[in-house]
Amino acid sequence: MTGRRLLASLDAPTILATLALCTIGLVSIASATAEHGGRSGLWKMQLAWLAVGIVAAAVVVAVDYRLWAALALVLHGLALLLLGFVLAFGREVGGNRSWLEVGALRAQPSELAKWTTCLVLAVYLARRVRSSMGLRQLGEMGLLVAAPVGLIALQPDMGTALIFVPIFATALMIGGVRWKVLVGFAVLALLLAPVGWTHLKAYQKERILTMFDAERDPSGVGYQVRQSKIAIGSGGLVGKGLFAGTQGQLNFLPAQHTDFVLSTFAEETGFLGAVAVLGLFYYLMWRGIVAARSAQDRLGTCLCMLLVVWITGQMAINVGMILGRLPTIGVPLPFLSYGGSALVAALCGMALVVNVRTRRFVN
Amino acid sequence: MDYRERWELKDYLFGQVVERRIVLVQVAVTLLVLAFVFDFWYLQGVHGDEYRVLAENNRLRRIPLPATRGEIFDRERRVIASTRPSLDLLLRRDADPSLERQLAGLAPILGEPVDALRRRLEESRSRPSFEALTVKEDVTLAELARIEARRDRFPSIEVRQTARRHYPEGRLAAHAIGYVGEVNEARLQTAEDTTTLFRGDIVGKSGIERAFDDPLRGVRGWMVASVDSLGRQIGDSQVLEEPGHGAPLEITLDIRMQRALVEALGAEAGAGVFLDPRTGEVLALASTPAFDPNRFADGLTREAWQALNTDEGRPLHDRAIASAYAPGSTFKVVMSIAGLETGTIHPADALYCAGSTVIYGHRRLCWKKGGHGRVDLERALAQSCNVYFYHLGQRLGIEPIQRYGAILGLGAPTGIDIPGEEEAILPSPEWKQRAHGEPWYPGDTISVAIGQGLIAVTPIQMATMIAGVATGRLPRPHLARASQPAPREVAISATTLETVRRGLEMVVESGTGRSVTRGGFTVAGKTGTAQVFKRSAGIDADELPKAERDHAWFVGYAPVDNPRVSFAVVVEHGGHGGTSAAPIVRKVLEVFFGEEAPAGPPAAPGLQAARSLRREESRDRPTAAR
Repeated sequence: MTGRRLLASLDAPTILATLALCTIGLVSIASATAEHGGRSGLWKMQLAWLAVGIVAAAVVVAVDYRLWAALALVLHGLALLLLGFVLAFGREVGGNRSWLEVGALRAQPSELAKWTTCLVLAVYLARRVRSSMGLRQLGEMGLLVAAPVGLIALQPDMGTALIFVPIFATALMIGGVRWKVLVGFAVLALLLAPVGWTHLKAYQKERILTMFDAERDPSGVGYQVRQSKIAIGSGGLVGKGLFAGTQGQLNFLPAQHTDFVLSTFAEETGFLGAVAVLGLFYYLMWRGIVAARSAQDRLGTCLCMLLVVWITGQMAINVGMILGRLPTIGVPLPFLSYGGSALVAALCGMALVVNVRTRRFVN
Repeated sequence: MDYRERWELKDYLFGQVVERRIVLVQVAVTLLVLAFVFDFWYLQGVHGDEYRVLAENNRLRRIPLPATRGEIFDRERRVIASTRPSLDLLLRRDADPSLERQLAGLAPILGEPVDALRRRLEESRSRPSFEALTVKEDVTLAELARIEARRDRFPSIEVRQTARRHYPEGRLAAHAIGYVGEVNEARLQTAEDTTTLFRGDIVGKSGIERAFDDPLRGVRGWMVASVDSLGRQIGDSQVLEEPGHGAPLEITLDIRMQRALVEALGAEAGAGVFLDPRTGEVLALASTPAFDPNRFADGLTREAWQALNTDEGRPLHDRAIASAYAPGSTFKVVMSIAGLETGTIHPADALYCAGSTVIYGHRRLCWKKGGHGRVDLERALAQSCNVYFYHLGQRLGIEPIQRYGAILGLGAPTGIDIPGEEEAILPSPEWKQRAHGEPWYPGDTISVAIGQGLIAVTPIQMATMIAGVATGRLPRPHLARASQPAPREVAISATTLETVRRGLEMVVESGTGRSVTRGGFTVAGKTGTAQVFKRSAGIDADELPKAERDHAWFVGYAPVDNPRVSFAVVVEHGGHGGTSAAPIVRKVLEVFFGEEAPAGPPAAPGLQAARSLRREESRDRPTAAR
C-alpha cells in the first residue's frame, strides 16, 4: 500500500474522536491544576506527550498490523523484560515500583504490556484456535497473560493488573471457550476470593468496604469518593464553566488531574460534558467493532475486539470508580488522565484499530 | 509479503461464531455506558442542587473575628486591666517535608529546645484542621526580626497578632480583679448560649473578670471567606457580623489605697478590706500572698499552675472573702450590741474584774492578771475586759448573740459581686448538732462571747459589720461602680449604736489616743487577737514561733464623725493586732485622707498609732479555761 492510499483510507472519524477525548483531557488537566503554582504547567507536559503519542501512533498505523503481529512475541517479551527491570531497579512512587526512568522521562512499562498483550493474544487466537478451545490452548493463553499480570501485581499495582481481566475474558470468549469452563473459572474465582481477601492490604480492604458504604470513613478513603461525587453532582446539567469548578480548583478533589479528571470535567461542564465524554468512548467502541467486523482476516477481528475491550474496560473501571461504584483502585481514564505512557499506549492501541480498518480490503 | 500470507482469512463459519460474541460485547458495553449515563443523571440532574450546596460549604468557611476584652478602670479611671497586642508564631498545617528543619532552625532563635516546640505543637493539634498550630505565643520583636531576616527558611511559619489581657498593676489587685484563661470543658458544657462561647476562647476565671465576664468579653463577629481544601484563605472575605467588643468596666477600687494596703501587708499572709460604709463600695481589697494575673493571661504551663496550686502560702486563695478566722475581741462589738438591745445590760452597769472568774465550774482568765477593777461597758470595750464579756455571754445565752450577729451580716455571704465568697460560721445549737453531731454546751457560749471557739468570720464580713455599726445601715459590698445596691437598715436602736461607737472611740483614744488622731483624722475601731493554738494564751506572742502566733485583727471606721471608710484587716500569725494590723490600717487611711507620712521620722504617725494600740492590745488577750 502506498503512502497516499494509506492516507486516503485512514479512519478519520475514529482519529477525530480520539483526538477530541485527548483535547478534553488537556483542558481538564489545565483547569484542575490552574490554582496550583507547582502543577500549573502540567497540561503542557501532557501536550508534549500527546505529540509523542501521535508520532508513535503514526508509526503503528504505517506498519501493517500483520507485521506487528509477526513481531508480537518479541514485543511481548520485551515488555516482560522491562517489567522485570522496573521491579528490580525501578523508581518507587507512592508505594508502587512501576516507573522506568530514562533521564527526565518516566514511563510505565505496564502500559506497553497492555498493548503487547492484546497483540499476542490476537495472534494466538488467529493461529492456534479453531472452532473451540481446549485446555491446552487455555493454558497457553493463560501463561501469555499471567506473565505481565504477575509482574505488575508484584509492583504492586492492582488497578493496572485488573485491566487484564476483561481482556483475557474476551479472548477466551472469542476463542470459543465452552461456557462450562467460563463458569468453572467464575466459581474458582469466587472460592479464591476469601483467600485473596486475607492477602489484601488493610487500605485495599478499606477501599472495597467503602464502595459499599461511602460514609464509612468520610475523611479517609471515603473522602475521595465523596468529594468526587460532590464535584460531579454540583456540576448540575451544564456545569460551573471551564476553570470555574471549586472542587477541583480548590483541591478538595484528590488526584483531580489524574484518576479523577472526569470528575473535574463533569463539575465544570455538567451532565452534558459527562455524556459527551461517555458518547465519545461509546463511539470509539462502535468504530472498533466496525473495524473488527470488516477486517479481512481472523487476526484483525480478534485484535480489534481485544483493543476495544481494553479501552472501554479501562474507561468503565475508572468511571465506576469516580461514581463510587467500584473501589478506588487507581486506574486512569484513557486519553484524559494526566500521564504520558498511558496516553501513548492508548493512542497506539487505537492506532492498531485504525490500522486494521485501513487494511480491510484484501491487498 | 510473507508476513501477510501467514494469516488466515476469515471464513464463513468464523464470521458466524465471532459475530455472536461481538454482539455480546456490544450489548455489555451499551448497558454499561447507559448505566453510567443514568448515574451521572442521578448525581447531576436529580441531586445537583444538594451537591451544589455541599460544594459551597466546602468552599466557604465562617471565620471568627475575635472581640477585644473590655478594659477595667479604678474609680479614678486608672487602668487596672487592658489589652495589649501579642505576636504569636503559627505553623500552617500543610504537610511540609521541611517541617523538622524549620523547627530545628527556630529553636535557637526562640531559645528553646526543639522538643519543647514539638510538644507545644502536639498540644494544639486537637484544634480544627484549618487552624494553624501555635509554635510560640508572644514572641519578642527581636525574635521576630531574626525570623523575618531568614524568612525563606521558614515557609510554613506565620505571624499573627492577637489581643492579650494585660494587668499593668500586676499582682496588686489580683484577687479582686481575677484572671483570664482558656475556657474549660465544664464551662463550655454549661454555657447558656452556645453560640457565643467557643473552645479556645479566653474567659474570666475569677474575681471581676469572672463575675462580669459576659459584658467584658463581648461577642465575637464572623466573616466568610473562600478557602481551599487546606483551609487557606483565598480571594476576598466578607464580614458577616462585626464583633461586639467588650464594654469597659469601672470598679470601685482606689488603686492608691490598694497599693498602700498591699505594700503595708508586705510579706505577711493576711487580708484587708476597705469599704465606703455609706454605699458598700469596695475601696481596697487585698489578700496576700498574691499571684501575678499576667502569668495566666500569657498562658500558664502545667507546672506553673501546679506550683501555684500547691504553694503553702495559697496565693490563689482570696483570704479577704474566702478565709474564715476567729474574730477574737473584735466580736465584743456584737456582744455589746446584743447586751444593750436585749436590755441585759445598761451602759452604766458595772462589774468588778478581779483578773479571773469562775463560770460553770471552770476558771476563766482575763488577760490582765491584776484585773481591771470596776468596768462599765465603755471601759470593758476600751480595755477589752474578758471577764465583763464572759458574764455578759452567760447572761445572754447563745440565741441573742446569734440573732444580733446575723443582723450585722455575720454567718452569711455579704453578697459582694465577685465569686468565691465564704459564709463562715455564726454558730447556733442547731448548727453545732448538724455540723459536729454534738449538743451545745453552755461553755461554748462563753468562748463565743470573746470571739473564740466555734465562731468564724471573713474580713469582708467584718468590714461590712463595722460599717453597719458606723452608719446604722448595713451596706452590700460591691466592686462594680455601676451597681448601687441599697444598704439594709439594721434593727438596732440609735442609742445602742451611739454607746458602742463611744466605746470604739475609746479603744483608740485610751492611753495615748491623741497621737493616733494627730494626723488630722479620727479613728474608731476594735483590735482583736484570734487564738491559733490554745497554749498561746498567756505567753508573749513575740516569743512564739511564727506559725503558732495568733492572728491579729483591726476592725473599724474613720473618721469618727460621719464615717467615710470602714475597714477590717487581719494578719495571719501577726501576734498583737496593735503591732501588725493597726499600722497597716494607718497607712491606708493616710492615703485615703490624702496625707502622706511626713518625711522626717519614717512612718511616725503609724508607729505612734501602733504603739498606742499595742499597749491596749496587750491587754486584749483572751484566756481560755484550763
